[in-house]
Amino acid sequence: MSMADRLDSSPTKRVKTLEAQAREAQQTIEELRARDALKTQFLSNVSHDLRTPLAAIITHAEILREGMLGELNQKQRDSVTGIVSGGQQLIDMIDEILTYVRSASDQVNLVRTDFDITELVDQVRTLNQALAAKKHLTIERLNGDDLPQVYADRDKIKHVLGNLIGNAIKFTPDGGRIWISFSRRGRNGDELVVEVGDNGRGIARAHYELVFREFAQVDASPSRPHHGTGLGLAIARNLVELHSGRIWVESELGKGSRFFFTLPLNPPRD
Amino acid sequence: MPARILIVEDSPLVTDALRVLFTAAGYEVDAAASVAEAVERGASGPVDLMLLDLTLPDGNGLEVLDALRSRSSLPRSTLAMTGHNDSGSRRRCLEAGCAEVLLKPVPIAELLRLIELHLA
Repeated sequence: MSMADRLDSSPTKRVKTLEAQAREAQQTIEELRARDALKTQFLSNVSHDLRTPLAAIITHAEILREGMLGELNQKQRDSVTGIVSGGQQLIDMIDEILTYVRSASDQVNLVRTDFDITELVDQVRTLNQALAAKKHLTIERLNGDDLPQVYADRDKIKHVLGNLIGNAIKFTPDGGRIWISFSRRGRNGDELVVEVGDNGRGIARAHYELVFREFAQVDASPSRPHHGTGLGLAIARNLVELHSGRIWVESELGKGSRFFFTLPLNPPRD
Repeated sequence: MPARILIVEDSPLVTDALRVLFTAAGYEVDAAASVAEAVERGASGPVDLMLLDLTLPDGNGLEVLDALRSRSSLPRSTLAMTGHNDSGSRRRCLEAGCAEVLLKPVPIAELLRLIELHLA
């Protein structure tokens, strides 16, 4: 090795190389962040722009369905009803994308109030009753009558519960059971654990993390039986984490899944 | 005389749909697609009810309320419409004097019910 080579690999030289690599890595991180922000902005704009013409389509179809422009016969009414429900389903999916974009880019401001979480759970159960009844599923609340009020963003927690219960309905076969139960833990019992369980198809251990990832579906093939945005659990995770809580799943294939999330019972007041 | 409704909305598609709805329901309908146009239409004659989109090409829908208030031409009632549900903008609308904040698309039965309620 020549003297020059030996000097090249001197500590000073190596530090310089490492510094250059660190700068390069930093630059890559910044580029990726910029692209991520661009993607978020794009999703947000597209969702917003899709919503407007859909709103017009649904309104027109509702005007027809209600017979405001003349009475329809049964077949015509059924057909127009199909336009309304299809449109509404699209709006719901677009809203889910918008909620995800906001929750992932910290554009969500929590509006915390004190509320009764059992009352909220019962409300979400009622909202899902019709859907569950179609599959002869029961949705029970097992306990919680003696819980203190929680201080959290009611709408966001309602969204989390709606997504978890909605998934349970989707992935539990006819005649199955869905339940919601509460427990307390932590040093002074100041952490509330909410469980949404079902005796449905379950999730393999290898997929416990995957299901919370955005756009991820255990079965992502176009022929998959359960369609959706693949954002429900990613949104639930973001909204729970915004409340300084945690969300996770415990499951056994073929036996069912239990989703848990925590909420601090006495978070710092705004 | 039928009540006069002013639709302030920048999408002609949505305006058309609402115009068909309100006309069929027996209201007199006027429409504006920008803050400037809404202020001009609102000040041109008494408006019983204004349906106000918040996102307009030349500004925020709530500016229409400020401008009409300073001209003493506020509609009897204003219902805000928004494309996204966030509690911050809801609060701003209510503080600015809107009677309701509705998430688009509002089911028509609900919309007609609220309009009747606020016109009474």
